[in-house]
Amino acid sequence: MKRQLELKVNGLGYSLEVDPHRTLLEVIRDDLGLTGTKLGCGGGECGACTVILDGKAVKSCLMLALDARGKEVWTIEGLSRGQALHLLQQAFVERGAIQCGFCTSGMIMASKALLDENPRPSEQEVKDSLAGNLCRCTGYVKIIEAVLSVTNTEKR
Amino acid sequence: MDEYSVIGKRLPRIDAIEKATGTAKYLGDLKIPGMLYGKILRSPYAHAKILRVDTSKAESLKGVRAVVTGKDTQGLLLCVIPHLANKTPLAEDRVRFIGDEIAAVAADSEEIAEEALDLIEVEYEELPGVFDPLEAMKPGAVKIHEKGNVAIHISRAYGDVDKAFQESDYVFEDRFETQAQLHCCLEPHGCIVHFDRLGTLTVWITTQVPHPYRKMLADLLKMPMNKVRVIKVFMGGGFGGRFEMDPMEIIAYFLSRKAERPVRIINTQDEQFTTGRTRYPMVINIKTGVKKDGTMLAREVKVVTDNGAYNSHGITITMGVGTKCTYLWSLPNVRYEADVVFTNKVYGGAFRGYGNPQITFAIESQMDMISEKLGMDVKDLCLKNANYGGQVTCMGHKVTSCALKDCIEKAAETVGWKEKRRTQGDRGVGMASLMHTGGGVRLLFGDCNLSDVFIKMNNDGTIDLASGMAEIGQGSDTALAQIAAEELGIKVSDVNVITGDTWTTPQCLGAWGSRELFVAGNAAKKAALDLKQKLLEEASRMLGVGVEELVAKDRKVSVRANPEKSASIAQVATACYNRGRILAGRGCYDDPTTYIPDANTGYGGVPTYAFGTHAIEVEVDRKTGRVKVLNYVAVHDVGKVINPLLAEGQIEGAGLQGLGYALSEGLAWEEGIVLNPNFQDYRIFYINDTPRIKSVMIESGDPDGPYGAKGLGEPGMVPTAAAIANAIYDAVGVRIKSLPITPEKILMALKEKG
Repeated sequence: MKRQLELKVNGLGYSLEVDPHRTLLEVIRDDLGLTGTKLGCGGGECGACTVILDGKAVKSCLMLALDARGKEVWTIEGLSRGQALHLLQQAFVERGAIQCGFCTSGMIMASKALLDENPRPSEQEVKDSLAGNLCRCTGYVKIIEAVLSVTNTEKR
Repeated sequence: MDEYSVIGKRLPRIDAIEKATGTAKYLGDLKIPGMLYGKILRSPYAHAKILRVDTSKAESLKGVRAVVTGKDTQGLLLCVIPHLANKTPLAEDRVRFIGDEIAAVAADSEEIAEEALDLIEVEYEELPGVFDPLEAMKPGAVKIHEKGNVAIHISRAYGDVDKAFQESDYVFEDRFETQAQLHCCLEPHGCIVHFDRLGTLTVWITTQVPHPYRKMLADLLKMPMNKVRVIKVFMGGGFGGRFEMDPMEIIAYFLSRKAERPVRIINTQDEQFTTGRTRYPMVINIKTGVKKDGTMLAREVKVVTDNGAYNSHGITITMGVGTKCTYLWSLPNVRYEADVVFTNKVYGGAFRGYGNPQITFAIESQMDMISEKLGMDVKDLCLKNANYGGQVTCMGHKVTSCALKDCIEKAAETVGWKEKRRTQGDRGVGMASLMHTGGGVRLLFGDCNLSDVFIKMNNDGTIDLASGMAEIGQGSDTALAQIAAEELGIKVSDVNVITGDTWTTPQCLGAWGSRELFVAGNAAKKAALDLKQKLLEEASRMLGVGVEELVAKDRKVSVRANPEKSASIAQVATACYNRGRILAGRGCYDDPTTYIPDANTGYGGVPTYAFGTHAIEVEVDRKTGRVKVLNYVAVHDVGKVINPLLAEGQIEGAGLQGLGYALSEGLAWEEGIVLNPNFQDYRIFYINDTPRIKSVMIESGDPDGPYGAKGLGEPGMVPTAAAIANAIYDAVGVRIKSLPITPEKILMALKEKG
């Protein structure tokens, strides 16, 4: 039986009817067409599905869409508009923190949640915060560099 | 002074913004109108006869649009090497590993397809299984395939091996074992297949080899190649795991044919971990003869490869190990014997290094042991026996550019070898080197190693570059753009790279064997030069000077002696257009290797070799057996750096895969059941246990590579496991000869040592 769901994603309101068993990830991707958030393992282990929910990084594959009712969701698509990039996106691009790109959306959203809460994290804090986000391409070296480079700039 | 405008520059990859903004579309992001969702019924038994499959209940479920079984796919056999094929897309009367495909359903939703799978009735007669290749080789072992359990026996010898062993002062014999490593691409494998009513087959897929894949499909399904369109979309990692046809794609084809709709199948994580390809586990016996002064005389290698249930790349990888064991270090005499053996487990496939991480673990661990016995620093032993430019190996391989000695010296210097080696305490340093193809190999897809590139110039001086190469995250599209921009004197942003679609791109063997930069890079350079010639001819008409006096740079063609006299490339292109002429270039490159290293096998003409040395410092906790990587220095002879940002990325990423291979990764089985089919239990390195890998690149300038460059995709993980094993020995004096080197193994060895 479908249920009514009022959802706020990237600052826009949506009125949806969803089956109760559907995850936030499924609704974001299939109903809203926001495919920047990725389905990797589907079990909360890889972090490719990371979005920001009321300021916290969450794994959207583990969360029921109905549980996001009344909360504010931000996905990679909401981070910047047009040709402009968010500082984190810029840093990931310029510092080579992207290879295949499949982990990138989740990695950037997890980094944003960290920096919003802790604007000047140490390298260890960056590593601890991103420990739930796997990358098989980069060896993480350039991801760490990218996040730290943003902490050293004034505007975020 | 650097003469280049774009080559060697630290530039972001050209697809980075698409990926950073979430706009890049991967397979799972595509919705084709009318698309159905496919699911596969897999065997719960490691070995069984199939007595009956009844799909009638599934077929009558609402929302089910097609069901297929082995009867539909009958007669088809899959393998990247067609004459070795023995895998049916769907089982006909026998299943040979847990996860073997039996039947499949296409339905309106994944939920309905899953429900339908539960309604398929299968009657099995369970058979005893065999899971260890050494057991499977014994007489009387359960037969997995009719012809027996040994897929192939390989036997080769170069030089006079017996005599060389007699002349050796010392002979070392050791046994090493390696495990099944998974690619762990973050994006699970999948496809969308549409066989339309006009008989055109379109496949959206995450493949590393779009053009060879298209040929495989056409051959298998007996279709004209121009009716087969393969579209490689953005893909979440490759590493060799998408270098062949998976049964799912043929299954989706039959479902699509039946339903007359596009069908999508994507692996779940569990399917990916239990039925996806793996790195082949090997048991390696290695015997090496040396003189007192460290001169290496002979090597004998015996390998047993665990092929899993069916043939894939197992035979060619094991043949490749036979080649690789002849060439690292200068050795005049080598003998190789190998068996590739079936077991009732998931079958392996290609994986970054193609057998080299396995054999290099053995060779380089043993080098460390030899040096200790001889009382020599292993660094000196390696320098003494190092490969060199102009060398012809005992098998007949010709080495062109080679900076191996520089790699060894640089790695030692950077890690602090002199100060840290053989010191007291729980810290140690180890090193290991590598030799690997830096430009693919001939004879895997025909007697060629080619890539073709087309470029057309637009009126505004921008270009569209079409290549059959596959961008899989390694950055080949960016390298091709840089090369074309360099030659034509335009900006990288002026280059639109078109890859992935076999209907719009020219022939190329694809992304494997570290061949992208060397082969497709050369093709791009050739195509750009072809176009440039026409561009300069037109400019010569406009400016009234000879072609040889013109330079293309900064989006302008100008007279070398008088740079004021110039025309913008856009003006030249427009002028050309207005005379009814088109500016286009074509470059087909086939590597220049014409010799056959071994006339008997005919295998393995390689255009150039990549070299490198890794030096790693570790700390071992004697109480827990845990290894902490303190310092990781990776030095590579890359020929020439085309883009440092991307080159470092290859070394760092490969190094971390190597650390996983060395220390934590590996499928665990019990009676054919995978015990760790997820990222919780199968541990790749997380960001918080990652050391900073320091990459150093040496430019040896390859005579045939574009600007002197050679491949770098695979080499970075080849020596890691041996360097780690050697560092652990230096730290706490225990020699671990099986991978992964877990804390348990270290603790046991420490206990034994007392």
